[in-house]
Amino acid sequence: MSALLDVSQVCKTFTRGGLFSSRRIHAVNDVSFRIDAASPEIFTIIGESGSGKTTLSRMILNIEQPSSGALVFDGTNLATVRSSADRMAFMHKVQPIFQNPFEAFNPLKQLDRYLFMTRRRFLAAGDQTDIDVAVDDALRKVGLSLKEVRHRYPHELSGGQLQRVAIARALLSNPKLIVADEPVSMVDASLRMSIVNLFKALRDDLGISIVYVTHDLATAYYISDRIIIMQKGSVVERGDARTVLNAPQHPYSRQLRAAVLLPEVATPAPAAATSS
Amino acid sequence: MTAAPASFADAQQPNDDRSILSVRNLRAHFRTSHFGINRYVKAVDGITFDVKRGEIYGLAGESSSGKTTLIKTIAGAIKPPLEVVGGTVEFAFLPGYGGLHRAPPAEVARIRWRHLSYIMQGSMNVLNPVRRLRRSFADFARPHIAGTEKEFEKAVVDHLARVKLDASVLAAYPHELSGGMRQRVTIALATICRPDFIIADEPTTALDVVVQKDVLGMIRGIQREIGSSVLFVTHDMGVHAHLTDRLGIMYAGRLVEEATTGEVFRTPLHPYTRHLISSLPRIGDDVPRKGLEGAPPNLADPPPGCRFHPRCPLAMEVCSHRVPTMIETAPGHRVACFAVNGDEQP
Repeated sequence: MSALLDVSQVCKTFTRGGLFSSRRIHAVNDVSFRIDAASPEIFTIIGESGSGKTTLSRMILNIEQPSSGALVFDGTNLATVRSSADRMAFMHKVQPIFQNPFEAFNPLKQLDRYLFMTRRRFLAAGDQTDIDVAVDDALRKVGLSLKEVRHRYPHELSGGQLQRVAIARALLSNPKLIVADEPVSMVDASLRMSIVNLFKALRDDLGISIVYVTHDLATAYYISDRIIIMQKGSVVERGDARTVLNAPQHPYSRQLRAAVLLPEVATPAPAAATSS
Repeated sequence: MTAAPASFADAQQPNDDRSILSVRNLRAHFRTSHFGINRYVKAVDGITFDVKRGEIYGLAGESSSGKTTLIKTIAGAIKPPLEVVGGTVEFAFLPGYGGLHRAPPAEVARIRWRHLSYIMQGSMNVLNPVRRLRRSFADFARPHIAGTEKEFEKAVVDHLARVKLDASVLAAYPHELSGGMRQRVTIALATICRPDFIIADEPTTALDVVVQKDVLGMIRGIQREIGSSVLFVTHDMGVHAHLTDRLGIMYAGRLVEEATTGEVFRTPLHPYTRHLISSLPRIGDDVPRKGLEGAPPNLADPPPGCRFHPRCPLAMEVCSHRVPTMIETAPGHRVACFAVNGDEQP
């Protein structure tokens, strides 16, 4: 089976400091995994801040180059993607979704312009009606419509709606892989599940694989097929999401699992809480 | 102003003498004025609740539900365009003024930190980045603690031990500590004067899950030890379930439900609360969860009647033109919903 994304023994080292007292920080240390082209899946990278999960996702997006090891996407080694034509071809297939939708969009720019721009850049430009239809189509996949978004500025929409526009924009180029870095941590609680469910629908209906980067074990359990748990740049545990999260083996994964605060009250409320 | 709207009928609750904070009918609006047209954003609109001595009162609500504006108003941090339009905030240790913003500055300076302190979300923004932590402690707490310099230093070191920090952090600058350690320093800073009331605004949201659990445990431990009351604000229901004694749920500037935390989680009544709790995914549970349709309302132009009715699965005709009042359905359990309370007359 051919691999959609093959990450093999990737390391990333940042050097801090000057000529005389430099310090090397191993942000990502020997990480390997592959996502098959034949079976779309939601692949989750879990870790706390400083675990290297964002650096890893930036390397998958080819924003950051690995210090050693190789990332191969759809048969192309990302290190060879240098010319702007190659980069466009790569971005055509891999699209990002970022954590904070309020920062991802320029507040002074109307949202539909992002959508039109993406459409013109990645697909042969038709006339405005064709573009409208394509944009409306993408927005409908995320539960919005062009009518709601046209001529609107980012501050006029809620965080959940904005994040959906970001997803619709990513869908416009018909990607094979979406890299979503903490896509729901800035979204309101009542809207979070609709975004998470949307990722499921993208996988099941459109056959898009998703790399889901998060620190939230509960949503990871809810949507992912496979997970890796990272600590200080290294993968400490990997496997089927259900198996790993139900019975974590590595001490760090157990610690993470134990630290999840369940949204339920098991014991009767303490005496101090009883009303007078 | 004409006759009080229906939502204020519950303002006349008996004032529990065990309560340390009584908020009555509080309304705080943001006023913006463009070309002579005034626009009001009703961020806090008729909120009434009490916090008792020695309890942790949780406030839950999503972004733009007005929870931060509410605690700003309670803390007296009112700057234009925020205005207190009506209602009172009464602390047991500052009686008679109806709010910090109405009290004379000398009185406020007297109670600040001694009786009322804060734990904020961004620990980096609380601590002075160019001063060692020893100086921060002196700035905040020295005026309120009598004794010699030596005794003060000893009190600080003893207190830092409560949050499992070593005396050596006093010589450090804030940037030299990790996020979890910094947040523990701000907790120590907020509790060193043994205040009666602590306002905690999302103190653990920026922390990692493992660290978060430790920090919550410390807040709980210190609160039990010094007997303070805590007003704990976060949108994370897991944190509320873990920490708080009583819980108030806010939606679009109003309180919609209030009960002991156990009761809110076991028998939520308001449709918004029910959704909030049932939509949370849990590890080991594969039930599909649904998001709520629609978006939180724009508070500059909120829907009439019950502000939740455009998204409510139980919405009735009455919900769109009358405001439901908070009614006690069981002892200590108040909820504002026509579908739960029936079409009551105020």
